[in-house]
Amino acid sequence: MDFSWPEEYLDFKNKVIQFAQRELNEGIAQRDEAQEFSHINWKKCAKFGVQSLAVPATYGGPLEAVDFLRSMLAMEGLGYGCEDNGLPFGLNAQMWTVQTPILHFGNEEQKEKYLPAMARGEMIGAHGLTEPEAGSDVFSMQLTAEKVEDGYLLNGKKHLITFAPICDMALVFANTNPKLGRWGISAFLIDINTSGFTASAKKSKMGLRSTPIGDLNFKDCLVPENSLLGKPGMGFSILNHSLEFDRCCILASQLGAMERQLENVIDYTKKRQQFKKPIGSFQSVSNRIADMKLRLETSRLLLYKTAWLKEKGDNAMLEAAMLKLQLSESFVASSLDAMRNFGGRSFLTENGVEKDLRDAVGGVLYAGTSDIQRNIIAKLLGL
Amino acid sequence: MLDKKIINYILEELHGGQSDLEILPEDDLLGSGLVESMGMMRLIQFVEEDNGIKIPPQDMTIENFMTVAAMVDYIERTKNNG
Repeated sequence: MDFSWPEEYLDFKNKVIQFAQRELNEGIAQRDEAQEFSHINWKKCAKFGVQSLAVPATYGGPLEAVDFLRSMLAMEGLGYGCEDNGLPFGLNAQMWTVQTPILHFGNEEQKEKYLPAMARGEMIGAHGLTEPEAGSDVFSMQLTAEKVEDGYLLNGKKHLITFAPICDMALVFANTNPKLGRWGISAFLIDINTSGFTASAKKSKMGLRSTPIGDLNFKDCLVPENSLLGKPGMGFSILNHSLEFDRCCILASQLGAMERQLENVIDYTKKRQQFKKPIGSFQSVSNRIADMKLRLETSRLLLYKTAWLKEKGDNAMLEAAMLKLQLSESFVASSLDAMRNFGGRSFLTENGVEKDLRDAVGGVLYAGTSDIQRNIIAKLLGL
Repeated sequence: MLDKKIINYILEELHGGQSDLEILPEDDLLGSGLVESMGMMRLIQFVEEDNGIKIPPQDMTIENFMTVAAMVDYIERTKNNG
């Protein structure tokens, strides 16, 4: 068994960290308070080559084929270097739930239209899955896409959609044949300027505030036949295909954030003196740091194992569910431990500690709640 | 024979062997609720391992997986092609 990474992957990860620390960490508190997305930072990421990590050279990527493990490690580096957790979250959302499905299921015209523009940071894509009445029970979606002479007519609503308020296009799942249940779900690529398609204003939220969230509304929205991604009824497999890639990379960035958080806490508790001693010398403080380290490393092992299985093309359903549960809950627990160790000052927004906790809470809710992950694990254990 | 193995997997593994369900090769598995979405992913994994084939996501369509009969047909076609 060999746990080491290729030297080139580690070098690239370090370059990503240096880029993020140098270019992305200005004005984070202000953007967080204003719940403001930075188009400038989005473009900087594209110029550096972040968005293009999800596509091959043909569509603007750095390599002949996407190297998933290299990309995942880079996204871990981005989460470590970029103190704005919302930005890596948004980047991952587009890269793995919009770009990747288009790459694998799109026709050449669709790939040419969307992938190079997204890789260059000139186009922002949203992934429209969740609905007001279809959250964990995602296949009960009510957005319909009726086949008509000129294409498909969409009616309904998507809810809690990352980038909805600022997207240029959306990959949207809709029911094209309600009689077929889950087999009737299809995926569409829809440009924001399409008649009958509107996005809501951004909604105020607790964490990950630099990446806007909102609704997508469809009212007699007519889209041409070539908006369909893959074949009719392929929504189920498109969704399943991208889900585990997305989980690995979003969680990789969270892992990077956890490592940064741990280092900050260690640094602070070595310097901060109380009762004439560094507070890190008190076991009530240092034990929490030991717990944070344990959470970090157990999460890392699950992440790397899941990514390794995906890279080999093996099934990783159980590992992906355990990873999502372990890492997201660990980030919440460690963020709270970090606040306890920083003490009262961590409660002040201006010190930038409490933001990690607010950001971490999102992780136990999006892309399958912790309850759903436990259900999946139990079912896969035959219960 | 292949259809019986798949039906047996659904009954034993996905329904815990405790169901008095009867599944016919022509039954709509997902549409009827006999197999839920995660169960279908487990079933696909079983089919891959049991038959030594790799099913690309592009092939996970209603034509190939709606019924046990469709699955058997898909598996035989895949094996013959390759």
